[in-house]
Amino acid sequence: MPLTSDQKDRYSRQIALPGWGEKGQEKLLASRVFVAGVGGLGCAAAVYLAAAGVGELVICDADTVERSNLNRQVLYGRDDLTRPKVTTAAPRLSALNPDVSISPVVAEIGPATAAGLIEGADVVLDCLDNPETRVALNRACIAAGTPLVYAAVSEYTGYLSFLHPPATPCLECFVDRTRPAVDPPVPGATAGAIGTLEAMEALKFLTGTGETLAGKLLVMEGAVPSFDVVTVEREPSCKACSHLG
Amino acid sequence: MVIFLRSGGKLRDKLKPDVDEYTKRVEVEGDKSLREILGEVGVPDSLVAFAFANGKLERLDYRPSDGDVITLQPPVSGG
Repeated sequence: MPLTSDQKDRYSRQIALPGWGEKGQEKLLASRVFVAGVGGLGCAAAVYLAAAGVGELVICDADTVERSNLNRQVLYGRDDLTRPKVTTAAPRLSALNPDVSISPVVAEIGPATAAGLIEGADVVLDCLDNPETRVALNRACIAAGTPLVYAAVSEYTGYLSFLHPPATPCLECFVDRTRPAVDPPVPGATAGAIGTLEAMEALKFLTGTGETLAGKLLVMEGAVPSFDVVTVEREPSCKACSHLG
Repeated sequence: MVIFLRSGGKLRDKLKPDVDEYTKRVEVEGDKSLREILGEVGVPDSLVAFAFANGKLERLDYRPSDGDVITLQPPVSGG
């Protein structure tokens, strides 16, 4: 659908990016992005995806807002405590950009639910907080052939990759699912930085601009500070994706 | 051979850097895996999710070469 004059103005600063153009913006407005988890990573990612004009943003989380979330989950405030995250976030994202259809989904992501939840998504963002759920999401994306933007944070450390096997590794090619989940200390800016970069990965993929982190892992050590981008290879014996050949 | 182990994150305390504030010099006798080397320098491999050397992510069965600078990364799963 061609852009309206309001949209041409609203998105003018990204339309001007070489390779993006009005066609790129139209692609974005016709896209569906699934954000798994609307915590520290997900809040940041959702804000920038909404601002960029992703046509449909599905935000999925089963949690309610807790006081300890407020240092980093920037879509929530003190008056939102005990409310479901997604139904709190949805109107704020809609107000940010009425062009975007926000679909809040209160659901647990797991092996039985992940496939149905991500159905129809052009790209999925892993903004989750534990290895088991990440694995379920990874497997659903592999089965659907849907790219997955992986991110994880702890303290000042952040990891980010664009996963789309068989062209790239999958999550389980390089992340050990047996590591226990803990509640790590996380300054808000760590989650904000990496969550924003997750949004950037999705936008690059959807508009066909720039270069994603396909086959690579970005490692942020904010305490140093340092950023490294390293190549990651598929694990030939990976239980999740080796069947793809 | 001599290798250098590096960590900028929470592994730094375990590593006890001695070259700069992030890097430890390690003399390695024989052909050893990174897992074995970590054991010798007192870094539990449960604290290391993966490492990277020469621009590539490596697992703990990686066998370093002389002069390698290997950056150690902890498991991270927060969101």
